[in-house]
Amino acid sequence: MTETNHQNPMLPYLGEISEVKDLANEIKLFRIKMLNGGGEAFADYKPGQFAFVSAFGFGEAPFGIANIPEHGPYLDFAVNRLGNVTTALHELGNGDLVGVRGPMGNWFPMDRFEGKNLVVIGGGIGGAPLRPVIQYVLDHRSDYGHLTILWAARHPSLLVFTDEYDEWSAAPDTELHLTVDSPDQQWDRNVGLITELLEKVAPSPVNTVTITCGPPIMIHFTEKMLEKMGFDPAWNYVTLEARMHCGLGKCGRCNLGEKLVCVDGPVFTMQEVGELLEDFL
Amino acid sequence: MNIITQAQLVDWLNGLARKNPLIAPREEAGVILYRPVQTIDEIAWDFTRTQIPVKEVFFPPTERLMTIEKNGQGVTLTETFSDEKPVIFGVRPCDGRAMVMLDALFIDTPPVDPYYARRRENATLVGLACNEMGESCFCTSVGGAPDGTVGLDMLLTEVDGGYILQTLTEKGKKLLQWMTLAGYYGEKPTPVVNPPIPLVDQDAWRAAFDDEYWERMAERCLSCRACAYVCPTCRCFAVRDEALPELGSFERIRCWDSCAGENYRRIAGGHRPRAEKGERLRNRFMCKFYYYPAEYGLSQPASCTGCGRCIDACPVNVDITEVLVEVGRLS
Repeated sequence: MTETNHQNPMLPYLGEISEVKDLANEIKLFRIKMLNGGGEAFADYKPGQFAFVSAFGFGEAPFGIANIPEHGPYLDFAVNRLGNVTTALHELGNGDLVGVRGPMGNWFPMDRFEGKNLVVIGGGIGGAPLRPVIQYVLDHRSDYGHLTILWAARHPSLLVFTDEYDEWSAAPDTELHLTVDSPDQQWDRNVGLITELLEKVAPSPVNTVTITCGPPIMIHFTEKMLEKMGFDPAWNYVTLEARMHCGLGKCGRCNLGEKLVCVDGPVFTMQEVGELLEDFL
Repeated sequence: MNIITQAQLVDWLNGLARKNPLIAPREEAGVILYRPVQTIDEIAWDFTRTQIPVKEVFFPPTERLMTIEKNGQGVTLTETFSDEKPVIFGVRPCDGRAMVMLDALFIDTPPVDPYYARRRENATLVGLACNEMGESCFCTSVGGAPDGTVGLDMLLTEVDGGYILQTLTEKGKKLLQWMTLAGYYGEKPTPVVNPPIPLVDQDAWRAAFDDEYWERMAERCLSCRACAYVCPTCRCFAVRDEALPELGSFERIRCWDSCAGENYRRIAGGHRPRAEKGERLRNRFMCKFYYYPAEYGLSQPASCTGCGRCIDACPVNVDITEVLVEVGRLS
């Protein structure tokens, strides 16, 4: 690198891929060890923050960081192969270099959640930015009340972090519920939309915070169901997805009305989302 | 204030061109653009405004951010900054004001964008006042003036016998160090202005957000994005990597983009926010008169300079001043 003091926020740090794992169909988990200076930049990121990952020669795209620094020193990213950058990333393996810029955006206020019950609702790869929340709660188990994890995907082959389900289920005062839209032959858990699962599990809204991430349409209907069940939008947290090209509040691409998802979010309460001039759908 | 005669101006500009890269309005392929000039004969004097605003000197349509060399398993990133120190002559006051609005985003709101900031620091802007407003100009309606000084280092105003010269900043002063000019004690000419268009406040824009007007108004929009391309304050950009086959390496570039484009916000997984033209045009107008001033703390009510370029550029006659009138009527 030519510049080490990093005055240029568009210049990525270098990171080395230390592990690649198949998470689900077309979804890989990349574990990245930060090199020259990047380690300090990413020493203290928070659950819900994101970073831009570069496949050099192809471009860069934003991804939610899927672990907490205490489960490091590395960064986990779940990458679904869909476009140029993600396809190029999927070609990379151990020892290959990527670029990483960040950490970016706001985060889930884990201190504000202390003493509360949590309902974590993940749809598809939307589970990735929620994994740090789960890791954090399990690491500080006595600081939080009951933890309900509702995890969904269109198909069993698209469920992420399956090898961690035993650990989550076995944690004290924690329950995990899975559902898929369309099951395969082996599937013996719930079938149906996450809203149906939510209604069936029926977590109590009393002293409870919910945290949701998934496709926009899932967030929309989940919030409707939560409000019907008596949950307070001021305590229903979401992390929103938007196309971005800088992550720094400059490129203009991710605005929702006068707010920018990259710097004013990506974490919002549904009350805040409701006050935005523009719908996130 | 001083007065500079036509002959002195010629000497002065020639002197500047020998010492610094001089950028000035120049005819290229039938339109007037800010381009490097070697001699002052190349300068175009008779123009309302350039086709593309002076923004392009500081925030080019396409610029290289860094080169990317892959060698074995290693990667070398080399940032590409411009160290040129140009003097830009003939900047219209609306374009000077636009730079202050862009500064609010690229410099005043952290983190500083080093590409833009370096160019801004290195350049000196010599303005040329308009004696009258062009047909589609409405700068006076959005806080500007044909002889406004905001964002400029120096301003020239044409009068009988030469130009009134106002030095506005230290940078501007430096350009005059070797010139001795007579003082000007006369009146400044009053520019001829167009009738004003009433501005509407943020509440009116909020109130108009859900109106069916946007869909109706945008029916004829071609999503060609010419409005954004000629706009002095549109700053949306895209970043991507391109191959440099002759070097065996890559470059990361950023280039202008626009929220009026169809796939501007399309995200992985197929979700397409603002799929309708009306939603996209609404965003562009809301950005000028509400979002941008609010998000980046502009002291001005709008990030529109009233230059009128978008009115002239639109192939289907979408007129920003008509939108202002309509939104005012809706509220």
